[in-house]
Amino acid sequence: MAANIIETGGLTRSYGDICALKPLDLLVAEGEWLSVMGHSGSGKSTLLNIMGGLDRPSAGSLRVGTEDLLALTEDGLARFRREYVGIIFQQHHLVPYLSAVENVMLAQYFHSVPDEAEARSALERVGLGHRLQNRPGELSGGEQQRVCIARAIINSPKLLLGDEPTGNLDHKSTLMVMELLKELRAEERFTVIMVTHNQEVAAWGDRTIYLDDGVLVREERNK
Amino acid sequence: MLLAVLAMASSLATALGIVSFSMEKRVAEEVRKYGANLVIIPETARITVGSGGLNFGEISEPAYLEQRRVEEVLAHSGLKAEESFHLRCPLRFRNGDIVAEGVDFVEIRRLFPWWQINGAWPTAGEVVMGSDLAARYGLKTGEMVELAGPDQTVHLRISGTIATGGEEDGLLFLSLPELQQVSGLGGRLSTVRLLVTTEGENLRQKAATLQAHFPGAKVSEVRQIARTSEGLLAKVKLLMVLVTAVVLISAGSSVTGTMSTTVLERSREIGLMKAMGGTRWGVLLIFSAEAALLGLLGGVAGYLLGIAIAQFITKTVFAASSGFSPWFAAVSVGVSLFLALLGSLGPMISVFKLDPVRSLRGE
Amino acid sequence: MVLAYKLIPHLLAWAGIMLVLVRGFAGRRKFAAIAGSIGFAAGAAGTLVLLQTLKGDTPFAVIKILLGGGFLFFLVISVVALYRSSERSASAPAGRRERLANSGICAVSAASVSGIAAGAVCACCFTGFQNIFALSLFLAAAAAIMAILILVMENLLPKAFVVSPSGLAAAVSALLLFSSSSLPRLDLFAPLTMKVMKFTHDFVHQFFESMLIPDHMFFTSATWNFIGLLFGNGVGFWGGLFIWFAPMVLVIAALAFEQIPPVAHIRQGAQRRKLMAAAVRARRLRLIVPMCAAIISGGAVYESNFPSVEYWDPKPLIVSANPAGEIIIPRKGEVDLEDGNLHKFLYKQGGKEARFFILMPPSGELTVDLDACAICKPDGYGQAEGTVICYYCKTLIPLETVGKPGGCNPVPMPFTVKGDGVHIDGVSLINTWSSTVQSTARIKGGGK
Repeated sequence: MAANIIETGGLTRSYGDICALKPLDLLVAEGEWLSVMGHSGSGKSTLLNIMGGLDRPSAGSLRVGTEDLLALTEDGLARFRREYVGIIFQQHHLVPYLSAVENVMLAQYFHSVPDEAEARSALERVGLGHRLQNRPGELSGGEQQRVCIARAIINSPKLLLGDEPTGNLDHKSTLMVMELLKELRAEERFTVIMVTHNQEVAAWGDRTIYLDDGVLVREERNK
Repeated sequence: MLLAVLAMASSLATALGIVSFSMEKRVAEEVRKYGANLVIIPETARITVGSGGLNFGEISEPAYLEQRRVEEVLAHSGLKAEESFHLRCPLRFRNGDIVAEGVDFVEIRRLFPWWQINGAWPTAGEVVMGSDLAARYGLKTGEMVELAGPDQTVHLRISGTIATGGEEDGLLFLSLPELQQVSGLGGRLSTVRLLVTTEGENLRQKAATLQAHFPGAKVSEVRQIARTSEGLLAKVKLLMVLVTAVVLISAGSSVTGTMSTTVLERSREIGLMKAMGGTRWGVLLIFSAEAALLGLLGGVAGYLLGIAIAQFITKTVFAASSGFSPWFAAVSVGVSLFLALLGSLGPMISVFKLDPVRSLRGE
Repeated sequence: MVLAYKLIPHLLAWAGIMLVLVRGFAGRRKFAAIAGSIGFAAGAAGTLVLLQTLKGDTPFAVIKILLGGGFLFFLVISVVALYRSSERSASAPAGRRERLANSGICAVSAASVSGIAAGAVCACCFTGFQNIFALSLFLAAAAAIMAILILVMENLLPKAFVVSPSGLAAAVSALLLFSSSSLPRLDLFAPLTMKVMKFTHDFVHQFFESMLIPDHMFFTSATWNFIGLLFGNGVGFWGGLFIWFAPMVLVIAALAFEQIPPVAHIRQGAQRRKLMAAAVRARRLRLIVPMCAAIISGGAVYESNFPSVEYWDPKPLIVSANPAGEIIIPRKGEVDLEDGNLHKFLYKQGGKEARFFILMPPSGELTVDLDACAICKPDGYGQAEGTVICYYCKTLIPLETVGKPGGCNPVPMPFTVKGDGVHIDGVSLINTWSSTVQSTARIKGGGK
C-alpha cells in the first residue's frame, strides 16, 4: 500500500461569509492520479490552490509529503511551492515576452540556477525541440500547454497540479496533452491532481472525487 | 515613455546645476576683469581718480597713507584681497615735471590684467612710460631717462610703453620702493587698490570695516558693471529652479502612474512568479531592478541632454560656454534614480502584497 | 574625557577584530576571545613601558615594523590563497576551512598576535602618560569588556556572515591598519607613498643618467612638464594605493574564483541545481568580509590623508628689517619664542617675501628655519605631538631633527642670538628663500 502523500483533516476555506470549502478529509496516495470534478463555484480550484501552497486554509490540517503546510511561513510556502509543486493552468500564463526556453528557465531561476541545457532537453522531451526560441504568441494552444508542462516538471516536483489544463484546447490537443502527462507520470512518478469539468479528461485518472458547494459528495474509482 | 520622462526631468536638473555652477565661476572671472573693487584714498588729497582723460589733478596739498599702517590693517583684517599700492608724485624731467607713479609691477599684473606693454615688463632700474608721455617727449623703448627728486637723481631705462586709453598713458611707472627713495617719500602711499573676493552687500560691509581703520582716508567701492551680470545670473537661476521643480514633481507623479499601470498589466506575471515559488522579496527585487535600470538609463540620457541644454542657455544668455563637468553625470543619474524608485514605491508595495490566487484566477 | 573619545576608533577596530576571530575560529571561540584579550593587555602594557623607556621615535618605529610585518604576512597569505584557489579539488578548501576553524593552536596564536598589535596601537594614543599601571589596567578592562560583548553578540549575527581564513587575515590586517592610521606617528600609508615617490624619482633619475641624456636638450618643455608629472605626489599616491590594496584584491579574486564542488554526477536536474545554487551562494557570502576589509582599508587611506589631528600652524607675523638689513625678533615679545611651539613669520623686502619660523626644540637651542624644504613645494609646516609635518608630502620630522638640513627638513637659516633677541639677515633670508623655491619649482616641471 503506497504511503499517503497528502493528508487533510477538516480542511476549510472561507472568504468572509462565503464558505468555499467545507471541512474536508482527504487522503491522496503517492503516485496517484486524482481527478476533481464539480461545476464552477464548487470549490475545486480552491482545494487545488490550498494543496499547492498558493492559498492558506482557514482551518483544519494539511500535510503534503513531510511538510505541515499550516506551520509554514509565507517564505516557507514559497520554498514548498518551488521544490514540491508544479502547476498547469487553463490560461497557460506564459510570460509573453520570453521565448519557450526562457519561460522554462524562469522556473529554474526561482528554484535555484537557470540551466539552458536542461531546459532544452525538457522541451525536447515534450516534443517541442523545434520550437525552442518561439514566443508563446507564436505557438498553438497545445504547444503552449506543453511548454507549461515542461515548466511545471523541470524542478522534479512531487506533486503536479492541473487547474483545467485542457479547458481551452481542442480535442486532438487534449488527447496529446493527456498522453504526455501519462508518460511523464510513468517516468517521473509524481502525483497528479487534476481539476476538470470534463468527464473524458477525468477518466484518465485513477480516482475521481466530486465536489459540490465545497463538500465532497462522491468518490469513484476509475478502471 | 517612462524613460523619456525620467530623462527629461534629470536633464533639467543637470542643466540647472551646470549652468549655475559654471556661470558662477564665469561671473567671478568677469568681476576680476574689471579690476579693483575697493579704493583707499587719503582724505585731504585732491587727486581725481579714474574717469578717463588726462589729468594731473590738483596736487596742491598732497596727503599720504602710511604704508606700514596699511599693511598692518590689511594683514589683521582677515580680508582675502589682491592689493596694489600706488604712490604718485612729480619728478623733474628735462626742466619740467612729469607725474610718476610708483607701483609694484607684480601686483599690477594681477590687478590690472588689461595692461598691454609695448616692450617688456620692467626689472630693477627700469620704468614703463605712458604712450602719450613718450610721444610728447619723443622717447622710445630702450632709452635712458634722468629723473630728479628733491635730493636725488636717478637714471632709468625705459623697458616699454603702455597704452590703455586711460590716465595711465600720461604717467611714468617705476617700482614703488625706487620712487619712494628718489622722492624722499619713504613708506608713503597715495592710493591703495584692493580686489576683494566677495560681492554685493558683503563688499559694502567689508568697505565699512576697513573704513573704521582709516580715519584719515576714504574707502570706496568702484565697479558697478559686474553687478548686472550677477543679477542676471540670479534671475536665470531662479527661473530654472522653478521650472525644474515643476518638471520634477510632474515627472514623479508620471512615474507613479506608469508604474501602477505596469503592475496592473503584469499582475498575472507577478502571480505566476509567486506561484512558481518566487518569494515576495525576490519578485519585488526583480521589479525594483527594472525601475532602477530605467532610472539609470534615464539619468545617462538626461545628462547628455542636460549638457546640451546648459550649453544652449549659456551661449544665448551669457555668450559664454559652460565648462565640462563630469560630476553632473552623478547628479543626473542620482536624480533620475531617486525619482524612479520613489515614484514606484506605491506600485512596489502592491507587488509585494499581490495575492497570486486572485491574479491567476483568470480573466 | 578627551581620552575616551580618542580611544573610540581603536576600540571599534578591536571589536571588529574580535568579531572575525570569534566567527572565524568557530570551534574555539572562547580560546580565541581569551587569547585575544590577554594579547591586547600585554601589547598595551608593553607599549606603555616602551614609550616610557625609549625616547623619541623609536617605540613608534618598533610598532610600525610590527604592523608592516603583519601586512607582509597578509600579503603572503593572499598570494597563497590565490594560488590555492585554482586547485581543481573543490572539497579541499572546505576541508581546510573546517580544520582551521577547529584548530586551537591557530586560534590562540592568531588571536594573541592580533591582540598584541591592537593593544600596542591603542596604547600609542597615550604618549606622555605617567601612570602606566592604571592605564594598562584600564585598557585591559576595556578590551576584556569588548571581548565579552562580542562573544555574546556574535550569536545573534546571522549565519550568513561567514569568515573564511583569508577573509579573517584580510579583516584583521585592514582593521589594524585603520586603527593605526588615525595616529599620524603610526600611519603606514603616508610613508609608503613617500617611499614609492622617492623610488620612482631615483629610478627615473638613474635611468636618465645612465642614458646620458642631458637636461632640457631633446625634449620640449611640454614634454618635460609631462615627465614632471611622474615625480609629483600623484605617483606616490597611486603607487602606494596599488600596493596597499594588492593583497585585498588578491584575496577577493581568490575567493571569487574558487571552484564550486562538482555536481554533474547527480542525475536529477533539480537536485543538482539546488546544490550548485547553494554552493554559489556560500561562495558569495564568503566575499562579504574581504569586501568590508577593502572598504576599511580605504578608510585607513582616507584617515591618513585627512588626519583628524589639529596642526598648530599660526598665521605668520609680519616682520621687517631695521636699516641695517637685520630682522630682530625679541625672545619674549609678542610671541614667546621659547615655549616649544613653532612661530611663523613673514618678511617682505622689495617685492619679494620669505616665510620662516622659529622653534625651541627639546634640545634647548633655538632654531630658525625656512617654512619650506629643499625637496617639496613650499606648502609649509605644521606642528603636532612632538613632530613637525611637511604639508606637501606629509612627512613627519621629529622635533629633535628640525634645524638639521637635508631631506624633507626645513631649510635652516643662520642666525645669532643677542641680548635683544634673535638676529637674522634679511637679504640672505630672501635669497635663500628664492633659491629654494625656484629649485623646487624646477624639480616639479624639469624632471631632474
